[in-house]
Amino acid sequence: MLSLYRPGHSLWHRLPAGPKTTLVTLIVLSVCLLPVTWTGAATAAAIAVACYLIPGMGLSELGRQLFAVRWLIAVTALGQFLFLGPERAVANTTRISAALVIGALIVLSTSATALLNALERGLKPLQWCGVDRQRVALLLVVTFTMVPVLARLAGEVRQAQQARGGRVSLRYFATPFLILALKHADSLGDALSARGVR
Amino acid sequence: MPRGPGLDATDLSRVAVFAALTAALGLPGSFSAFGGVPITAQTLGVMLAGAVLGPRLGALAMIVLLTLVAAGLPLLAGGRGGIAVFTGPSAGYALGWIAGAFVTGLIVHGSARRPSVFRIAVGMLAGAIVVVYAIGVPVQSLVTRLPLGETFVLSLAFIPGDLIKAAIATATVSSLLRAYPRAFRRSWLPPRQNAEVSP
Repeated sequence: MLSLYRPGHSLWHRLPAGPKTTLVTLIVLSVCLLPVTWTGAATAAAIAVACYLIPGMGLSELGRQLFAVRWLIAVTALGQFLFLGPERAVANTTRISAALVIGALIVLSTSATALLNALERGLKPLQWCGVDRQRVALLLVVTFTMVPVLARLAGEVRQAQQARGGRVSLRYFATPFLILALKHADSLGDALSARGVR
Repeated sequence: MPRGPGLDATDLSRVAVFAALTAALGLPGSFSAFGGVPITAQTLGVMLAGAVLGPRLGALAMIVLLTLVAAGLPLLAGGRGGIAVFTGPSAGYALGWIAGAFVTGLIVHGSARRPSVFRIAVGMLAGAIVVVYAIGVPVQSLVTRLPLGETFVLSLAFIPGDLIKAAIATATVSSLLRAYPRAFRRSWLPPRQNAEVSP
């Protein structure tokens, strides 16, 4: 649930996380800088298709990614067509959709562990600013592992609400959820202290 | 209670929990009606982080979340992640969370006295709404190349939802103050006008 990683054999999968992120970011940035014309739109679309087709990710994956951000694209397109002319609207919407879809390549082809490791390596320069790198790494990993725990907690609170026959409303969900989350934080903090984390 | 420089273990877990909570609020199956539209129940996480943790730690929680998102983890509403998210239309809103949580925390924790409902509400509005939009709208305008005025008009559509979330956050933080004041990890003086016993 927490990872959109799809194991595979494409060229993107074989690239290590750090260089991959740099490369994808460069491609996304260049797409963002394309001119707001019909040719710009066509170029953006072509680049997106190439990024999926050539390394072996497949066009169906491209379609899936577009579908995943359909609402974002819809809202953007709405604003564009309402206020701008057709050429600019199409160019901007295509450009943004291409950027979103190309950016998704990182998540699709890298496992969460590999991403976290790359992040830790990337944070090395922070050491020179006096930041405790181990603490930062601990904070990131603890947060990451907490998300499924909280998601499960959220599900339990929601079920309890439904069992009481109430409608699932955000209002009566937030307080118990928050209290349970904070209690979890406190016990985790105690566990960390017990293990010698200051 | 005096704490040394840096984060102690409890503060570290608290920061982590608010970052994770904001992420959990964006997972599919949560309360967001639209999959990828930038503003969802995650704004609630921003409000709670600032109000409960205070300005410094609240902002840190948002930085942690955004760092994980930048690393590629799909923690933004609709399961979005990766550094490319920060080149999309909703980039400014996400980055605005840091300043938003900071301002909310600044207002809610600003006085030595226990915050009133009014102060909490102002904190939510000023931080998680005004500040976030102030950063989100110009960035959205830049990315979509739509003029600022029109982008602002578009963003108005999300304000009613955010006002509701601010109301929920205010109510939640107020109940937390009464039910579990330990959560704030600080002590307040009793509010000025009541003879209410402070916890």
